[in-house]
Amino acid sequence: MNKMWLVARREYLYNLKRRSFLFAVFGVPIFTFIVWGVVFLVMSDSDNKVSTENKYGYVDLSGVLADPVTPKDKPDQFVAYPDEQSARAALDSKAIPAYFVLPKNYLNTGEVQSYSYDSISSTLKDDLASFLLANLSRGLEDKLPLERIEEPVTLTIRPVDSGRVLTEANLPALIFIPLIFSFVFLMSSNVTSGFLMGGIVEERANRIMEILITSITPFQLLMGKIFGLGALGLTQLVIWGAAGALTVRFGQSFPFLNGISFPVDMMVVFVIFFLVSYFLLASLMAGIGAIVGSEQESRQFASLLSLILVIPFFFLTTFINDPNSPLALALTFIPFTAPMTILLRMGFGSVPIWQLALSLAILLLTSFFVIWASARVFRWGLLLYGKRIGFREVLRVIWSSPEIGVSLKSDSGRTSNV
Amino acid sequence: MNSSAAISVVEISKSYGTFRAVDNLSFEVHRGEIFAMLGPNGAGKSTTMRMILDILKPDTGQIAVLGAPLTEATKDRIGYLPEERGLYRNVKVVEMMVYLGTLKGLSRTEAQKRSLALLDRLGMTDQAKKKVSELSKGMQQKIQFAVTVLHEPDLIIVDEPFSGLDPVNSLVLKDLLFSFKERGGTVVMSTHQMSQVEEMCDRLLMISHGQQKLYGAVEDIRQQYALHAIIVEGQGNWAALPGVESIEPIQNGRKATLLHLAPQTTTDSVLAAIAASPDTHIERFEMAVPSLNDIFIRVVEGTSA
Repeated sequence: MNKMWLVARREYLYNLKRRSFLFAVFGVPIFTFIVWGVVFLVMSDSDNKVSTENKYGYVDLSGVLADPVTPKDKPDQFVAYPDEQSARAALDSKAIPAYFVLPKNYLNTGEVQSYSYDSISSTLKDDLASFLLANLSRGLEDKLPLERIEEPVTLTIRPVDSGRVLTEANLPALIFIPLIFSFVFLMSSNVTSGFLMGGIVEERANRIMEILITSITPFQLLMGKIFGLGALGLTQLVIWGAAGALTVRFGQSFPFLNGISFPVDMMVVFVIFFLVSYFLLASLMAGIGAIVGSEQESRQFASLLSLILVIPFFFLTTFINDPNSPLALALTFIPFTAPMTILLRMGFGSVPIWQLALSLAILLLTSFFVIWASARVFRWGLLLYGKRIGFREVLRVIWSSPEIGVSLKSDSGRTSNV
Repeated sequence: MNSSAAISVVEISKSYGTFRAVDNLSFEVHRGEIFAMLGPNGAGKSTTMRMILDILKPDTGQIAVLGAPLTEATKDRIGYLPEERGLYRNVKVVEMMVYLGTLKGLSRTEAQKRSLALLDRLGMTDQAKKKVSELSKGMQQKIQFAVTVLHEPDLIIVDEPFSGLDPVNSLVLKDLLFSFKERGGTVVMSTHQMSQVEEMCDRLLMISHGQQKLYGAVEDIRQQYALHAIIVEGQGNWAALPGVESIEPIQNGRKATLLHLAPQTTTDSVLAAIAASPDTHIERFEMAVPSLNDIFIRVVEGTSA
C-alpha cells in the first residue's frame, strides 16, 4: 500500500474520533436548531401578545376616525379617547400600554405621535397602519380590493437560464439556502484545514516529524494529510446533507422553513467548489503549519484566512440587489472569495456558465500552485524549530533551486546547497 | 566509497549561516558493529546523524547508507531514535506503534504482532492500551526505542538512547541493543556516557567543533593514550622499587599512586619486585590506560584552548 494512504487513513480515523470534530458535526447543527426554535417561539409569542391581550388608545384630532371601522380579519384593538389627558391617565394607570395621537393636519402630513413607557413593536405599527388604511379607504373597497392598495407588487423572479423560480413568499428560504451552503462550506473547510495545520504544528513540536520523514517523503506526508482530512470534510458534508434533507422533509410544518429546497445545480457546484477550495486552503494551511513557531501563531493565521473567506458576506445586500454587479464579478474571480461568492450569487440569481468555468479554472490553477509551493516550503520548514522565518525567506525557498535542503542561509546571501 | 560499509561518509560539511556545524568529516561504520559518536554538546553529532538520514542535506560531500545514497526504499531498513523524543501523545501505545511500523513497510497485522511481542519483552504489556501521555518518561523512552527497532531494520541510528533512563531501564535497553547487534544489525549511537562506550562499542568517532578528533577501535584509542605507567594502591615505598622513575599521587578518587616506569622496565618486573618486597602491601595494581572519559576531557580541552 502506498504510504500516502497510510497517512490519509490515520489522519481520517484519528480526527474522526476527536471531540472537536464530533462537536462540529453534531453539536453545531443541534445548537443552531435550538437557537432558531427559541427565536421562533419567542417571536410568535410576542406576536400573540400584541394582537389579542392589549388594547391601545388613540386620540383623533383630525376627524379621520370619527366613525371608526375595524379592518377585516383583525381584532378590534384600538380604543378612542376624547383628549390627550384622558389617554395619558389611562396610560399611567396601565389600562393601556400605549396611545397614539393623530394631529389636526394628519391628512396632509401623515404624522402620528405615539406615547408609551415601552417600545412600540413593528407588529403594532403594522396593525395601526392597517387600521388607518381601512378607515381612510372607506368606500374604495367596492372599486378595488384593499389588499392591492396595501401591497401593489408581489414579485416573482424567474432567472431566465437557471429555471429556478424565486417568489417573495419564499424570501426567507431564498436567503436561507445560500447562507446555509456558505455556512456549511466555512465550517467544514475551517474545521478540517484547522486540524491539518494543528496536526503539523504538533508533530513538529513533539519531534515525531523526524521519525515520519525518515520513514516517508514529506510530499507523501503532506498529500496523505490533505486527502485524509479532505475525506473527513466530505464525511461532515454527508452527515449535514442528510440532516438537511431530514429537516426539509419533516420541517414543512414550520412556516419559516416553507419553500426551502436544495436545488441540484447548486449542490453540484457546491461540491466541486468545496473540494477544489478545500485543497487550496488545506495546502496553504499545511505550508503555514510547517513554518510557524507555535500553535497560537498558527491559529492567528487560520482566523485571518477565514476572515478573507467570509468577505463576500459583507456584500450580501449587493448580491441580493444586483448579483451581476462589478463587485460581485470581481469577487467571483478571486480564488479565496470565489466559492462563497458563487454560492451567494447562485442563490439570488443566476451565474453564467462561462463565469463558473473561469472562476473554477482560476481556483484550480491557484490550488495547484499553492500545493506545489507548500510542498517545497513544507520540506524546508519541517525541521526549523523555534526559528522565526521571514516572508522573503519563504519566497526564496519557493523560487530557488529545485533541490531544497534544510539549510538556513541567513544574511550572508550565499546560494544554498547542491 | 566502500559499498560494503553500513555507512560511508566522505568529506561532508554543513554550515548554518556563518557557523560551521560540520567541517570536512569522513568516516565509515562497519556492518554489524556498535559505533559510537562522541563529542561535547554542539559538536555536530546530531547534525551529522540528520545528514546521514537525509533530513538535512550536506553543503558538500557524499554519504552512502547501506551501500548507496539514501533512497525511500532504504528508509524502511533504517531505524532512528531522535535526540528529542518524538511520540504522539494522545494516542494509544499500540496504535501508535502499529502506525509508525506500517510507515516503515510492515503490514498492519505484522506490525501489531511485533508491537505486542516487543511490549511483552519490555515488560509493558499492561501499558499497551494506555495513551502515551499517561506513561512515565522512562516508559516513553522504551516505547521510543521499540518504535526504532519494530520493523527489524539493518541499521539503527540512536541519538543519546540512555539519557533520562534509570539504571534498571538502562540495562533493559542495553540488552535490546546487544540482541539487535547479535542478529547482525548495525548501531550508530551518540552518548555522553563514556563507560557505556567502553562497555558496548566496537569503534568510535569523536568530533569537536564539527571536526574529527578521534576515530578508530575503542581499544586502540585507549592504548594510544596509555602511559608507560602503573596505578597502585596500598602501602609501600613505591619510589624505591626498581624501574620506577618517578611517582605521582592521583588526585581524584582514593589514595592511588601513579608509577612512571623507565623505558626498558616491564609491568611484570615491577609486579615481581612488589611481591618480593616484604614491607609492601598491595591492594590494587593496574595498567595506566586512561578511561575514555579522561581521553574525552583531554581532547576537548585541548581543542578549546
